[in-house]
Parts: sequence; structure tokens; C-alpha cells
Amino acid sequence: MSLLDILLVAIRVAFAAFVPLCFIAVCVWMERRGAGFFQDRAGPNRANIFGFRAAGLVQNLADGAKLFFKEDVISDHIQHKFYFVIAPLIVFFTAVVSFAVVPFADTLVLNGKSYVMQGIPIDIGILWFLALAGFSVYGIILAGWSSTNKYGLLGSLRSTAQVISYEIPMGLAIVSLLVVYGTVNLNGMAQYQGQLLFGFIPMWGIILQPVGFLIFVIAAFAETNRTPFDLAEGESEIVAGFHIEYSAMKFAIFFMGEYIAMFASSAIIVTLYFGGYQIPFLATDTLINYAKPVAFLLMLGLPAGMYFFAGWIRKNNVSHYPRENDPRVYEGNIYIKGFWGLVILLELILFAILLCKSGGAAAHIFVVLLQICTFLMKVTMMIFVYIWVRWTLPRFRYDQLQKIGWQVLLPAALLNIFITSAFVVALS
Amino acid sequence: MAEMIKLFVNGNEVEVEAGKNLIDAIGAVGIEIPHLCYHPALGADGNCRMCLVGLEEGGPPLVAACKTPAAEGMKVLLDADHIKKIQHDVLEFQLINHPVDCPVCDQAGECSLQDYYMTYDGQKSRMTVPQVTKSKKMDFGCGVIHDQERCVLCGRCVRFCRQITKTGELGIVNRTDTARVAIFPGRPLDNRYAVNVVDLCPVGAMTSADFRFKQRVWFMKKERGVCHGCSKGCNITIDHNREKDQDDLIYRFRPLFNEQINGYFICDEGRLSYRDENENRLTEARLSKTTMSLDKAVTAGLKEIKRAEGIVILISPDCSLEQMVSVKSLAEELGATLSGFSDGYIKKGDGDDYLIQDDKAANRAGLAALNIDSSQTGFEEALAKAGLLINFNNDLSLFYDESSLKKLFKEKRVIGVTSRNTKLFQMANLVIPVASFTEYSGSIISCDNILQTFNRAITKNDTLVDICEVASLFGGPLKTDRDRYDELKKIVVSLNDFDPDTIPATGLKLT
Amino acid sequence: MSAEVKTLKREGSTLAEKIYFVEIFKGMATTFGHFWRNLLDNSNLYVRHYPEVEPEIPVRWRGRHRLTSHDDGTVKCVACFMCQTNCPAECISIEAGERLDDKAEKMPVKFNIDLLECIYCGYCVEACPLDAIRMDTGIYSVTDNNRESFVLGLEDLLKTPGAFSEEEYKKGGA
Repeated sequence: MSLLDILLVAIRVAFAAFVPLCFIAVCVWMERRGAGFFQDRAGPNRANIFGFRAAGLVQNLADGAKLFFKEDVISDHIQHKFYFVIAPLIVFFTAVVSFAVVPFADTLVLNGKSYVMQGIPIDIGILWFLALAGFSVYGIILAGWSSTNKYGLLGSLRSTAQVISYEIPMGLAIVSLLVVYGTVNLNGMAQYQGQLLFGFIPMWGIILQPVGFLIFVIAAFAETNRTPFDLAEGESEIVAGFHIEYSAMKFAIFFMGEYIAMFASSAIIVTLYFGGYQIPFLATDTLINYAKPVAFLLMLGLPAGMYFFAGWIRKNNVSHYPRENDPRVYEGNIYIKGFWGLVILLELILFAILLCKSGGAAAHIFVVLLQICTFLMKVTMMIFVYIWVRWTLPRFRYDQLQKIGWQVLLPAALLNIFITSAFVVALS
Repeated sequence: MAEMIKLFVNGNEVEVEAGKNLIDAIGAVGIEIPHLCYHPALGADGNCRMCLVGLEEGGPPLVAACKTPAAEGMKVLLDADHIKKIQHDVLEFQLINHPVDCPVCDQAGECSLQDYYMTYDGQKSRMTVPQVTKSKKMDFGCGVIHDQERCVLCGRCVRFCRQITKTGELGIVNRTDTARVAIFPGRPLDNRYAVNVVDLCPVGAMTSADFRFKQRVWFMKKERGVCHGCSKGCNITIDHNREKDQDDLIYRFRPLFNEQINGYFICDEGRLSYRDENENRLTEARLSKTTMSLDKAVTAGLKEIKRAEGIVILISPDCSLEQMVSVKSLAEELGATLSGFSDGYIKKGDGDDYLIQDDKAANRAGLAALNIDSSQTGFEEALAKAGLLINFNNDLSLFYDESSLKKLFKEKRVIGVTSRNTKLFQMANLVIPVASFTEYSGSIISCDNILQTFNRAITKNDTLVDICEVASLFGGPLKTDRDRYDELKKIVVSLNDFDPDTIPATGLKLT
Repeated sequence: MSAEVKTLKREGSTLAEKIYFVEIFKGMATTFGHFWRNLLDNSNLYVRHYPEVEPEIPVRWRGRHRLTSHDDGTVKCVACFMCQTNCPAECISIEAGERLDDKAEKMPVKFNIDLLECIYCGYCVEACPLDAIRMDTGIYSVTDNNRESFVLGLEDLLKTPGAFSEEEYKKGGA
């Protein structure tokens, strides 16, 4: 193994492990500020360090510090303390690991060797995700049961029944997708989606499998315990459900695990249905060949985008009440300068690429970086959809939940498999 | 059973006792005739005119119910328009000079005038002239404060002093709107039942200096109890209240009507004896100087008992019969000498021929009924031979002074089981706190040989155990209430026909 | 005596509504509209920039309590316990004593309001026969960092001035 091999392995593993963790902060921030804007309020925007609020991101630090230093209570009535402690870890761990098989860029070819850009380079792909997503519910079930609390138990019972009802449509939706793609390897799927349908439509999963997409997204919402399927929590009727007895860092781990699960399932949805890391109309080979024009276009686009972004900051980062020497204006100006500095740095990098040999290693790495950015952008958008749905739809009633699972999603998924298979057979 | 007669009230036939006046006879079946001056213990005076009722057919059309004996076939009118107008007018007349500052008045909540106003009048005053002002806050002595403005001149207090105590300190002086209840100059109330006028007063004119402004009456919970101040066993109402974040405290004792014991009244001393229930109570067990939990104290006590050579158990004559049988059986179990020596409780010459007794012990008759020796010689001889004295709440300091107590306890171990934190029990080696008589249920026998039961009235924040329970913790064989009652039945023959809950509330006359 | 009957249209029975997805997307469009508007320009949020911008307090607003006094500075309260009796939160505790200045028979020796238990219902003000207790101090935020300081005594209650003039207060319908 050469040094390059080791370096790339380290980078891949680090990416698969730390990007989800970093996205916790992004998710929480998006959720809270987003919720604010959805409801015509501001969301957390006061926490600051020397007056710098980073659009509310500092609040995350404050929350984190609070949760970290809170007293960690394990009530005396809890008999199975081991399960009680292990439960949040299961949720957290399975969520992190389930992301490991998602490719965040196309296979990188350097010096004639190819490197698969995913945390764990295995071929079982989607099956791995299904297995771990199913397993993460054990954490919730265990938590509710070991809490020795009726609300906790009710929460975990709900969760159990919900998982049974929604894993099946989810699996079936994937089955129809597998019929289309003909592989379980996620990278293979992403590559498949780089093609064009009739020569002008990107061959994304959502175009090929719209019904399957809806079923899968609904099931994924249910799987991640997000509204409208968060009956396991149900603040209004079972107080906080499975995590009622949890406090401090144990609660925080549940909380973080949930957001990582959201991130991971967004990543899966993007990979399965939105072309993964693929940029529309620009498949990997095309990109490598046209690296220089793309870089040049980016060099033009970045300052233009930055110009509007700066205007937005200047407009919105002010105090909306009479205030002398508004410190927020000063704060905003510093942000603008910082971002311009960043843009200049990026311009330099892009300029360097323009100077390099076309089709060489630099172009390959540039494409990988471009695809990573695309992938993360798509995932962020999907996370936004999660948040958007949460602040739009109220929670289902329990019977509605089961009814949708068994009477709508399951038949629809089966029918979808049948139709898809008929098409595939007819076309081949 | 008295002879029953039938009469009509508002056209409905009711059956009432013969030989009573209309207020009492009809009141007994739950129909109230408003009255201010009449009181069953003081007889009819007829000055307030509040009880005027109509009679149909025969006799005068309007009669004062307090002065009219119930008769067969009488047709009494209470809700006719003209009767209502009379009641309304009488109240309006009473209220001409009565200050309507009920929120400030201590009687509010148990005031007849207030209740009647709400029921029968309910109108604003039509008076335009200023009210007559009189003296307020006059100290009548014996802890009675009088407010002449609030007085409705019913004369109950005056009649009480004349008829019941026969001291006659009070009188009504002057006439018309300057008439007022007063004492003779320099001759304040001076009798041992004086505070009863506060209970008798239908309005807030008489207030007790002791209770005045302490509590509003509607905050208080009322429980039946039996006074333990002397051997008479007067029935009382225990008014208590648990204020926010505080303990359940008793604020006053009031007499409770019991015909065969105390009638409508109690003595002032018994009335104030509630203070002993609140103050100077022992709340924590103590071994020498260190306080400890009950469990540890009982363990220490058992150790003492095991070690002791000869035990004397002394029991208080205030204890209930249940406690006495428990302690008696404990004494038999331990082979100890049981004594009820309590000559100190008798105050010679203190009693009178009405309610107050010489004997300040509530249940001396119980000691006798259980054959517990209470002679001085018996006690002292037994103690001289013994090494350990277990004193169940018996206040020896009433008989012995401090130096003779010291001599008595010399080289003796003393366990005090008591509710009171007195000097006597500070001399004890081990003290265990127990409930006082308002905090347990039990029965006592009064000097008139009447057995009365009473229930727990007060529940303190830190509930103390009963002497019965301490006796059983020390190894006494009677563990449950049922055991004690069965044991009691063997001794007190009259109880054979009764269960604890079927003993009459007014007391059982023993034969 | 004919009651007016108004027949309401029952929503949710058409096919488009029953498919559910259409309605969900409509709803999501609505919420996204709000999000987008606020994202582009956050000056129209329905928020008060507390604590920099304090709310305007009307006369009828029930704030922290105070005890009123006579012109000569003596307490108006006569310790009648009406407020304590009416208090649903049991946050008032009064101790009464003899009053010697001829204004009344009784006066409060102790008058404690536990603001942590108070629910600011205003029953005490309604119950008071002498207008001795009011909630017109206009104190908006009752904050401190220990529990003890939330128990107001007679002195604290007497020395807090009212925030409004007498005419305004009377007009406020209190």
C-alpha cells in the first residue's frame, strides 16, 4: 500500500465519520432558524461570542455546553442500567455507520488505480443501510423499555409497531428500484443515474420511479422518527415518549443520533433518487474532459453569487429597532469581508486548475471535489425538505399511521414492483 | 322517647316532639326559624322579634316562636309574604346602627346576623343619617372584648351571667339607640365560664382576646373532641387549620352540646387548654442529649428493659382506656409493677358544682376500672426496689418538687414516653415522643362514669406514634386496635354490647 | 323561537383532498412562502425585540402587586383575608394584628405574597373591599436569582408606587 492509498483511506473514513457529525450542527441550526422563519419568527439569534452570532450557529455551542455540563441522572427505579445507557449509543452508532456506504463522489482514478469514494468500500450498499436503519429502532425500543416508565414504554411500543409497518413498503420500494438499476451497489446506482433519458432528461431515480420515490420518502420519514411520524415521542400525549427518562449527554446523544439519521437517510434518498453526486448533464467523464471550462465558469459565477449574498447580509444582519451604532452592521461587514476573502481563495484554486494539464490528476481531484460539493448540497436540500415537512404537517393519529402503512403504501409498493418489472421485461 | 305530636309547617305535616317551643321543635326536623335572642340554654326572652311566625286558624295571627309551645294540629306559616316582610323589616331595623364591615369582623362566617341578612334581607340600607357610634374594643375582663357597635342587644350574654354563672356582671344600660351592654364600673367579668358569652353572642360584639384576629373562621376545620382538662370530659369542637407550609395547629376549643355531660358550655380553663397541644411539645426521641429516630430510641429502650433489674411502669390518668390496657398488658408481659399514681392531678377545692372538677385527670375512672393501683405507697415502694421506671406521660412534677424528684430517680434509669417536653422528662434518660389526645383515637371514662370515645382530630406534619404503639413496640402483646378493644371488653362489662363504632357519640353511661 | 341553523361545508371529501398529497403540497407551498419571504427580508417577523423593546403596558394589565395606603401613609389594608381566601394559588399569607390608629380594628402585621406561586389572576384585587391591593405597578419582568426574594413582604408591597394616575386607573375598569 502506497502512502497515497493510506491517505485516501484516511480521507474517506474521516469524511464518512465527521461529515455527519458536522451536519448535526447544520441540521439543528437549519431546523431552529428554519422553524422560526416558517412561523414568522426569528429563531435563536442572540447567543454570541464577542458579538459574533454566526446567524445563530453560536446557539448550538451554548446548547452543547449546557447539555454537556448538565447532571446526568439515572433514576433509581431503572433496573436495567446497562440497557438504559446502551440505548442512545445504539441509535447514534447505527446512524453514523449507515452513512458509511454512501458514495459521496465517483470513483477516483489516480495513477491508474481507482479508489471508491465511500467510507466502507463494500458492494452490498443499500442492504447495509436497510439493515442498520432497522437496527437503530432497537435503540428506541430498548430506551423506552428500560426506562421503566409507562410513557417510555408506550413510546417504544409505538415505535416498534411503526417500524414493522414501514420497513416493508420501504424495502419493496427499493426492490422496484433494484429492478431498474440492476445493482445493489450504491455507487453503481449513482453512476447509472449519470445517463440521460431520451438524450436530454437526467436519468434520476425520481424520474424513473416517482411512485417508488414517494413511498420511500414517506417510509424514510417514518424510519427517522420525524414529524409527521414522531409518535414515539408524542410530547402532547406521552410527554416525551422513549427518552422521557434521559437527561444531559444521554439525551444529547439521542438527539444527535436522530439528526445523523436524518442526514444519512437524506444521503440515501439523494443517492437513490436524485442522482447522488452527479451534476445534471455532466457525467464524470464529461466533467474530467471539460474541467477547465467548468472551472472558468465557476470563476465567473462565484463573485456574482457573492455579490448578491453580501447584499443579503447587509440587508438582514441589522437590528430592527432604533439602536445607536448598530453592532450588527459592523458584524455583518466583517462577515462580508470574510466571505470575499474566501471567494478570492477559491478563485486562486480554480485559477491553479486552469493552469494544470487537462485530464490529469488535478482534473480528477477537482471533479471529485465538485461532486462532493454537489452531493452535500443535494443532501442539505433534502434535509431542508425534512424540516419543511416537519413545520408544515401535524403529527398523524396512530390509527392513521397504521392505515397509511398497511392499506396505502404496501399495496402501492407491490403494484409499483409489478408495473416496473413489466416495463423492464418489455423493454429488454 | 318523648311524646310526638303532629303539626303543619307551610301546609306540610311534620311530626315533632311535644313540650318544646316552636323553634326547637321544628328546628329538630330541619326547618329553621330565624332567631337572635333565643338560646335553648337561656330560655326565651322575646326581644329580637326575629322569630315571629304566623298561625292559621285559632290563636293570634302572629306569635314569637320562642315563646310558643308546639301544639297538636298547629298550622305554622313561615313563608307567607307578611312573615317574610316581618323578617326583612326586623333585620333592616337591626342593621340601622350595625356597622356592615363584615370582612373585618371576626364573627364573619359564623354570624347569625350575616347569615340571616343573606337569607332574608339582602337589600341595601335605606338610612341617610349617620350611624350611632358607640365604644369599640372594650375589655370586659376574663379575655372578653366587647364591641358595642356590633351588638344587637339580644341579651344572651346578660342572661348567661345571671342564670348560668349567677354572677350578673353584665347588664344593658340606657334605652333606644343608646342602649348598650356594659359592665358595672370597676366590676369586670369575673367567673370561670366567662368566655362562653363569646360563643353565645350571635354577632361579633363579643370576641375572645385569645382567638381574636388569629384566624378567619372559614379557614378552620372542625372536629369533635373531648376536653382532657379535668375529669368532667366536656365535649368540644376542635377548630384547627394547617396554614401553608406550616403544621396543623389548633386555634381554639369551643363547647359542643352534650346534654348528659356539659350542656352548651365549657370552662375557660378547658377552652385555653388547646395551647398545650400546640406548644412545648416533644417532637424528637432523645437518649441523654442526643436526638434520634423512633426506631433507634425503641431499640435503646428495649436494651434498657433487658438490662433492668425490676421495672416500674407508671401510667398517666389522662391516657385513654386503650392505652391503659396496652400498657397494663405490657407490664404483665415484662413482669413489671404497674402504677397509676397521680395524686398531683387532684387540686383540692378547685372544683365547683357546675362543670369544673377537683380532679384534673381525664380518665381516673378508667384506672379504677382496669384495677390499676394508684396509691402513693404502692408506687414509692415498688420504685425503691426497681432499677428502671417507664413513665407513660404521667406528670409526677405535679406532686413532687424538683429535689424530691431527684431523690426519687437517684440511681434509677428512667424512660419517658411523653407528648410534653417538660422539666420532668428532661430528667429522663430516654424520652420517646408520643401523640397527644387530639392526635389519637380512644375512649375515656369521666367522673360521672360516662364512657366517651373520640377520634383523631389533628394530623401533624411529623406524625407521632400513640402510646398503644409504643407499648407494643416494647413487647406488649396487644398489637392491633381490635386486640385492645377485645381486652377492654373483658374488663368493662358494659362494652359487651358495643363495637367501637357503635358506641353512642354522646357517651355511654356505665352502670 | 326558531334557531338559526347554519350548515357548514364539510371539507376533505373531494377526491383531490382524499388523495392527500395535493393538499400536503399546497400546505407546503404556503409554509414555504412564509419561509422564503422571511429569509429574503427578516424585518417583517412578528416578534418583539424584547428586552430592548419593552411592551406597552395598558392600565388593565395585571402586573406585580402593591398595597395602597391612606393619604397619611398608613396602610389601607385591614387584614380581612378576603384576598387570601380568594387566592386560587394560595400565594398570599397574612397575619392580622390590632390596629391602634382608629382607621380600623385590624391591620396586617405580616402580608406576604409569593410571586413564584402567584398566577396573576387578579382575584385578590377583585376581592379587596377597600381597594387596598392593586396590580398596577406596571412591572413587566419579575426576575431575580434566588427564591427568597420572590416573597414580597408588607414593606415591599407598600413602597412600590403605582404606574398610572388615579383617573387612568379608575377608567381602566378596575
